[in-house]
Amino acid sequence: MSPPASSTAQAAVRVVRGPGGIVASVDGDLVCESVGPALAALGRELIEPPAAIRLDLSGVRRLDASGVAVAVHLHRLAQPKGIPFEVIGVEGDRKLLVDLAMRGQDPVPSPRPIGLLREIGSSAISIGSMARDLLRFAGEVSIVAVGILRRPWQLRVRDTIAAMARHGSDAVPVVGLLGFLIGAIIAYQTYDPMARYGAKLKVADVVSVSIVRELGPLITAIILAGRSGSAFAAEIGTMKVTQELDALRTFGIDPVRFLVIPRMIATVIVTPLLSAYASILGVLGGFLVLGPKGITLTQYLVEARDALTVGGFLQGLAKSAVFALLVAGIGCLSGMRTGQGPGAVGLSTTRAVVAGIVAIIVADSVLGTFFYTLGI
Amino acid sequence: MPRHDTMPAAAPESVISLKGVAIGYGGRAIVEGIDLEVRRGEILFIGGGSGCGKTTLLASLNTLRPPLAGSIVFEGIELAGADDETLQRVRRRFGMMYQLGALFGSMTLLENVRLPLEEFTDLPREAMDAVVRAKLGLVGLAAHADKRPAELSGGMQKRAAIARALALDPPILFLDEPSAGLDPVTSADLDALIVALNRMLGTTFVVISHELASILSIGHRFAMLDGARRRLVAVGPPAELRDRSADPWVRKFLSRSPSGEAA
Repeated sequence: MSPPASSTAQAAVRVVRGPGGIVASVDGDLVCESVGPALAALGRELIEPPAAIRLDLSGVRRLDASGVAVAVHLHRLAQPKGIPFEVIGVEGDRKLLVDLAMRGQDPVPSPRPIGLLREIGSSAISIGSMARDLLRFAGEVSIVAVGILRRPWQLRVRDTIAAMARHGSDAVPVVGLLGFLIGAIIAYQTYDPMARYGAKLKVADVVSVSIVRELGPLITAIILAGRSGSAFAAEIGTMKVTQELDALRTFGIDPVRFLVIPRMIATVIVTPLLSAYASILGVLGGFLVLGPKGITLTQYLVEARDALTVGGFLQGLAKSAVFALLVAGIGCLSGMRTGQGPGAVGLSTTRAVVAGIVAIIVADSVLGTFFYTLGI
Repeated sequence: MPRHDTMPAAAPESVISLKGVAIGYGGRAIVEGIDLEVRRGEILFIGGGSGCGKTTLLASLNTLRPPLAGSIVFEGIELAGADDETLQRVRRRFGMMYQLGALFGSMTLLENVRLPLEEFTDLPREAMDAVVRAKLGLVGLAAHADKRPAELSGGMQKRAAIARALALDPPILFLDEPSAGLDPVTSADLDALIVALNRMLGTTFVVISHELASILSIGHRFAMLDGARRRLVAVGPPAELRDRSADPWVRKFLSRSPSGEAA
């Protein structure tokens, strides 16, 4: 915005044509408000390309940093057509202002549009590079983990416990609430069909088996991806952007040992516990529906116990541990792969959550098939 | 760069006036009792040791952080306790360059600088783009107009932030550490630009800086804060303060002498 006085600012444009080209003279105030009309007036005069353009600013009373846009605009029009362009009638600070504004103003030809084939190729390369990074990261984590097994004092115990608190105990309310409600929802959905066959007590079987073997670990893992996977990506990503990872490496400290291993160990320990807790509350959630239908808590729990097997329970815990490894690994890897710039951390966080959830579902189907084949 | 210590000859007119201003965080003052006049058309540097409240003072001057106490008057308008509408109106007369640039990462440089023009002017798009390119040219970034901030170095981002601050040709510009992180040549170019804009357009500059070369070569006046004494300890022409200030800390600061505390 210019000072209020300039609201009446006007610039008059005169164009004199000669054999050697045109001289465009501007008189008056060449400021932000008058740039638009001045450029429009010049545009009308320059429909036919002249042999040369000279912009005479000697009649300009007031010239501000927006006013020099007229010179910049004419230069950008003239340069691609090879028309000589010159600004005259400026000296001292005005000349400095014009000269500074004109620096690097030659129009750059637009880059060739990226073709479909090139787009597909670059996407393939990027997926390939991500797969390579994932493999390298898994190898690195394994090597460091083996090293820590051999030299346990290298584990950052305090960081691990802090991560367990943040990603475990802090998640207890939300995991419990969702487990309980999912149990109740399953019971609601299955009660009527079961009651039609006189098997309303069998609702306890459906709830307990589906929650303990499948949904408990799955819900916990999805919450983990949203809460912890994203947090890992954001924390480590921010450290990457602010060069803290470089600082660690400069000290000779391996960021995987320092940052990734404590988070992965913490997650692998707390997730099966959270999953078991979600499963217990899920089973109890089912009773919320059956209780008012005349089934006692003892009947319900005995039915649920008979439906469950130790193998099924262990299957749920094993799945949780695998999901935890995937979510924590993907979160940390996304953080380590964070690029530069303010949007990079957000991108890594999104990638961590989306890739984490996809990995959970894929792993669940693979593990489900595996356990089914084993007859567990 | 030639010395530039000649203020406009007319009697100095105050554009921002601070009286008894206290600045700080959470009710705790870092500096109190600041009495300072920012004169129209001057280049005023504000300096002091790390953590002495320079950036906090700048945030109070540009109305983003109300002072803990005292009065800040801009062109006759009391800013301390002013309503949002008044502050919004006043802010459009300020240009601000933040220490780390604060460019919008999802936009190109051209779009960053064009944003204030789109919001507050009715210029046609062609003229708007010409104005934006001129502003980018002033800071030497015309060739990078279509790049995003992440594609630029830290110094280039700072220059782009100056171009954005200039977008609306504000009569007063606040610059927070404009030269930090820039090479000496770019820093001198920036000084030349500040001087040119100041002399030609009468733009008032309030600059937070530790760059003694800039302070001494282009600053009309220097205001120094002292965090330990929690007050404004000196205001005056930088070279004069360096050579003749009654305060030894000010002389040391401006002549880059060691504090002597380590001895």
